Amino acid sequence: MTGSDSSMIPFMAEIVASTPLSADTSLFRLRLDQGIADYLPGQFFQLSVPAGGEFPVSPASAADGGGELEFCVRRVGQVTSHLHSLGPGGRVGLRGPFGNGFPVAEMAGAQILLLAGGLGIAPLRSLLHYILREPERYASVTLMYGAREPAAMLFRDELVALARQERFRLLLTVDFVRDEPVDGRVCTVGLLPALLRGVKVEPAATWAAICGPPPLYACLVAELASLGFADERIFISLERRMKCGVGHCCHCALGQLLCCSDGPVFRYSAIKGITGAI
Amino acid sequence: MRPFLPEERLGSLLALLGHWGEVYGPVTTGDGVTAFRPVSDPGQLRLEYRRTLIPPKRFLLPPRETILTYSPDAGYQPLDTAQPALVLFGLHPCDLQGIAYLDRVFLEGVVDTSYRRNRQALTIIGLSCEPDEFCFCGAAGADLPAGCDLFLQRTPAGFFVTAGTMKGEEICDRSAQLFTLRQPAGTTPWHHPLADAICRGCAAGETFPDNPLWDRFAERCLGCGACSACCPTCYCYDVLEQGGLDGQAAERLREWDNCLFKSHGEVAGGVNFRRSRRERLQYRFLHKYYGFGALRGVISCVGCGRCRAVCPVEIDLAALFEGEDHDRQ
Ligand SMILES: Cc1cc2nc3c(=O)[nH]c(=O)nc-3n(C[C@H](O)[C@H](O)[C@H](O)COP(=O)(O)OP(=O)(O)OC[C@H]3O[C@@H](n4cnc5c(N)ncnc54)[C@H](O)[C@@H]3O)c2cc1C
Ligand code: SF4
Ligand code: SF4
Ligand code: FES
Repeated sequence: MTGSDSSMIPFMAEIVASTPLSADTSLFRLRLDQGIADYLPGQFFQLSVPAGGEFPVSPASAADGGGELEFCVRRVGQVTSHLHSLGPGGRVGLRGPFGNGFPVAEMAGAQILLLAGGLGIAPLRSLLHYILREPERYASVTLMYGAREPAAMLFRDELVALARQERFRLLLTVDFVRDEPVDGRVCTVGLLPALLRGVKVEPAATWAAICGPPPLYACLVAELASLGFADERIFISLERRMKCGVGHCCHCALGQLLCCSDGPVFRYSAIKGITGAI
Repeated sequence: MRPFLPEERLGSLLALLGHWGEVYGPVTTGDGVTAFRPVSDPGQLRLEYRRTLIPPKRFLLPPRETILTYSPDAGYQPLDTAQPALVLFGLHPCDLQGIAYLDRVFLEGVVDTSYRRNRQALTIIGLSCEPDEFCFCGAAGADLPAGCDLFLQRTPAGFFVTAGTMKGEEICDRSAQLFTLRQPAGTTPWHHPLADAICRGCAAGETFPDNPLWDRFAERCLGCGACSACCPTCYCYDVLEQGGLDGQAAERLREWDNCLFKSHGEVAGGVNFRRSRRERLQYRFLHKYYGFGALRGVISCVGCGRCRAVCPVEIDLAALFEGEDHDRQ
């Protein structure tokens, strides 16, 4: 997927597996027709469903030098429904990768605190896989993941299995309990900010990364601030309407920053003063 | 001494320009609108025109255009047909500056292949102008504004001619027999006080958050989008895909979008990042006067006056720089 036009002209890929994760969300594993899937956690692609359209989506996997990558997609509208109607063998296009991604080099050596709400787990799973590939490069990694309800919790079994590793601490929470009970060992009932209040962290030696639905950001940032986190140590991945991905179509500005090309990952200190950013 | 084209030889220059493509110039259409249309005879040209309703951006970013085609065998492909060559005759300095800005957006950094295709098909001939009460550019009176191949400085008897590019020099060489040499009369650079106020305001980073004009604008804005549609430097676009009847082939189109439309900041699930008209007007303001992304800090309003002239409820964002007394409502 090299070539100067890969940011304007989609290159083709094939769906090799689609695995339902919840009632409306599936994990799509794609294999590029050509080349290697190279991207950083937190970057995104524009995924095309031929005759359906295109939408921005972050990989949920970490680049591994091969030609495959995974996207965790919720069926919410036109194009995502088209994608969900495709199974293995289905053809899709990709442009990208776009945006900056998480500053993985800067994060090395420190404690990492990942805060995911709902579908926000997708790019943070990418970052988690990236970190757990060489866990010795980080002091520790903690994932706090909140879902609306037990049945909407994505990747639960995978995360619980990963949490057997020494350096990885997992804390799951649901806003309210419905459906079947979840694994009592790791799942707490309550909002993510409340969960955050109860854990021990060393703010000066930790990088926090947040991704989730818009209302979550302000509460989590306030909670992190009260724990003593400096604004510079908080990274936030933001969503905006995006059409081009390359800074041309002007849909995605927050203040004068373009979410697609200046972000989508922002240091909180850089967007704190921008009205409406979070 | 500078090359000078006597007025009566304009027809010969137009004929010669046909060599570089079909010549479009400012004409008055049947419904009384000024627009760039094909011209063959200088009698059709409205050389004294002030501004066209739709700016020349439509030749670079058509209101709707196919940008890619899809087929199962070839995947997504750019269009492979060449764009027919066009000569745009008689663009005023503000519109030239508008094109120079669009070039920065679409050709610096990530190159937009469709824009490049359209841009390469154009030969641009600039023409000096006489500003009216809506204009506030700072550029008129300059000998050679950026963005044109050839610039014509109009005088009562004809035009001083300056080449801006290699292509412009080629045009001059080919039309040398049409020119005489004349001593240029010193042109007086024209400075509009509003252009100065905008420069000062932007240098100070003013966004006027407490100015009561914002509320007055937000109350009456109709969200029609005319201000942005007719702006030579408004370029947001939406992307759509249409499937062929056979379910195999598809076309990807893009069309003008508009930040004054409510859907512009909407994402799936009912979240809208610019829910109110005030936020949408402020978005346009910030983009015009401060710039986004790679063009942060570059003013893109070229002072053509179109938005103030077309707004049905007389909203003029530039009035913020003058203070509230200048709200024309
Ligand atoms: C950086 C980034 C990463 C994302 N990662 C994921 C992910 O991992 N998994 C996931 O399920 N979703 C993700 N999204 C959200 C996803 O892009 C939207 O859910 C999707 O665009 C909805 O498209 P639709 O056509 O199905 O919805 P519809 O509501 O039918 O969309 C209607 C129109 O709105 C546009 N639109 C709606 N929401 C968005 C949006 N957020 N951005 C751009 N255009 C939009 C569509 O393109 C379409 O033209 C991400 C969004 C961004 C910006
Ligand atoms: S903002 Fe108005 S005056 Fe400025 S370039 Fe656009 S249409 Fe012309
Ligand atoms: S032209 Fe006037 S009424 Fe229409 S969207 Fe622009 S500011 Fe609002
Ligand atoms: S998505 Fe087009 S400018 Fe950001």
